[in-house]
Amino acid sequence: MAVTPIEGLAKTTTIRKPLISPRLELVLVNALLIALCAAVIFPVIYAVLVSVRPDKLGPTMAFSLDTWFFGHYTRLLSSDRFLRYILNSAINSIGGAALTTVCAAMAGYAFARFRFRGGNLMLGIVLGLMMLPGLTNLIPLYKLASDLEIRDTYFLMIITYAAYGIPFGIWVMKNFFESIPRELEEAAAVDGATPFQGFLRVVVPIAVPGLISVFLLNFVYNWNDFLTALLLLSSTEMKTATVGLFDFQNQLAGNESELLAASCVIIMLPGIALFLAARRAFFQSMVEGAVKG
Amino acid sequence: MRVNKIYPYLLVAPAMLLIAAVSLYPTLYSLWLSLQRFRRGVASFGGLTNYQFLVTDDNFWNALRVTLIFGVFFVLITMVFSFVLALVFNRRLRFGPLYMTIIFIPWMLSEVVSGIMFLWIFNFGIADALVAPFFGEGYQFLASPVGAMGVIILATVWRSLAFAMLIVLAGLQTVSREIYEAAGLDGANRWQTFWQITWPLLLPTTTVTILLLSIQAVNATGMFLSITRGGPGRSTEALSLYMYNQVARPPFDFGYGAAISVVMFLLNMALAIFYIRTLRRESTTAAA
Repeated sequence: MAVTPIEGLAKTTTIRKPLISPRLELVLVNALLIALCAAVIFPVIYAVLVSVRPDKLGPTMAFSLDTWFFGHYTRLLSSDRFLRYILNSAINSIGGAALTTVCAAMAGYAFARFRFRGGNLMLGIVLGLMMLPGLTNLIPLYKLASDLEIRDTYFLMIITYAAYGIPFGIWVMKNFFESIPRELEEAAAVDGATPFQGFLRVVVPIAVPGLISVFLLNFVYNWNDFLTALLLLSSTEMKTATVGLFDFQNQLAGNESELLAASCVIIMLPGIALFLAARRAFFQSMVEGAVKG
Repeated sequence: MRVNKIYPYLLVAPAMLLIAAVSLYPTLYSLWLSLQRFRRGVASFGGLTNYQFLVTDDNFWNALRVTLIFGVFFVLITMVFSFVLALVFNRRLRFGPLYMTIIFIPWMLSEVVSGIMFLWIFNFGIADALVAPFFGEGYQFLASPVGAMGVIILATVWRSLAFAMLIVLAGLQTVSREIYEAAGLDGANRWQTFWQITWPLLLPTTTVTILLLSIQAVNATGMFLSITRGGPGRSTEALSLYMYNQVARPPFDFGYGAAISVVMFLLNMALAIFYIRTLRRESTTAAA
């Protein structure tokens, strides 16, 4: 500060009277936020309400709060095809997220700790890819996968999801490792551990929170992915839940909204549940990935 | 710590190989594909034919226009709302975490699920009932080009709002409280404080958020697919959807699809370079 505050100055400056009292303001802010939250969550609540209304009401906004009909859920959960879609989604998203986490942890550690030739270039590529969504390479990927005859395989989906998640994962893990003091590994080295042992036994255990957030965030993104799966998967056996839902929406053409609603609810459950369980991890990794340069 | 020179390379190898195979190589391959002509699934070298067709293709220009209109409204609306929300959440409200959790839920949903849920609101008469006083009974949102675009923009803002807000909030929290206290001492009112302190200090954060949202806007596909599939007519056929349609429908023209994806890549690239430069500038000013 260039000017030193002078005693008593605060008294001479005119203290503006606020337009509304702080208490009223707090009430207003809360009321607005409650209204906003209600509007935001409404589609989700409404999907739940549609999913438990009795069979085939057609395109009407009606719902009933007294009778909860779970027939659509039992029908879905006894459908082999639906369960297969869910299983495919689970395999692809867990596999992809796990592979992302392992690769991102190793690479993030290398970028955080070592200076090596080509390192900055690689980091630049990583940062660039973080900004470039997978959409623009979908067509060549589809063509390549067709030529190599690996479309409709878990392998293809897992490596694709893993690669999409890696740049962001590296960024988050790099920031995480940079906050861990080097002395820990140096102590391990003095005790005779190899560098890789030091990484695995000393650094990784400390980095578990970071690893979990990378895994969870990627799991949810993979689970919700729609476009990649839509283009790369065509056999009924291998389709994921979101692609199945899209097909289902087309086939039904407005009929059986209740069954569609029940599938929506089941598909959105893992994402919401994981988010509620690990909010902090999600927020932190999202901010780190987006703004820390 | 002394380590073998190869060690860092071994650590980055799995990640780099995956990126190279799934992201880098296909991107280069799309350049090559875009120079091919596909006739009944058979490719032959066509030079710049696809690009020549592109510049004269009305549907391509339409798609570009749709993407731009969508992008401008989506980014603007999301920015304004996320700014206001971030300022509110920066004040440590008692139920702040609860509100924030609820607002974040849409970001955790798949675009197909979101799209279907929005369709119900507009097909089951809920939205019609809400707007009846303004538009009259039975306004068919999804049947009019403007209405359909409005629904997609609304759904996308709904999904991205919390994410944008979180980034602005993170930026706000780096502005130290002392600056505000000093401003309060100098007798600045809230309006002045916002425009003279918060806004200039947040400018880099704002730029970053706008760029991240713009990248999302250029690549938005899921909502378009699940809500309108481009209709009515071609009024919501965004660039991404037009690209997708080239390979998802007959005549399965990979060459032309690849040409469109090269254009999209360049759009993304321009935004990404801008983004990285902003981050760089921000970190150098922060260090100074």
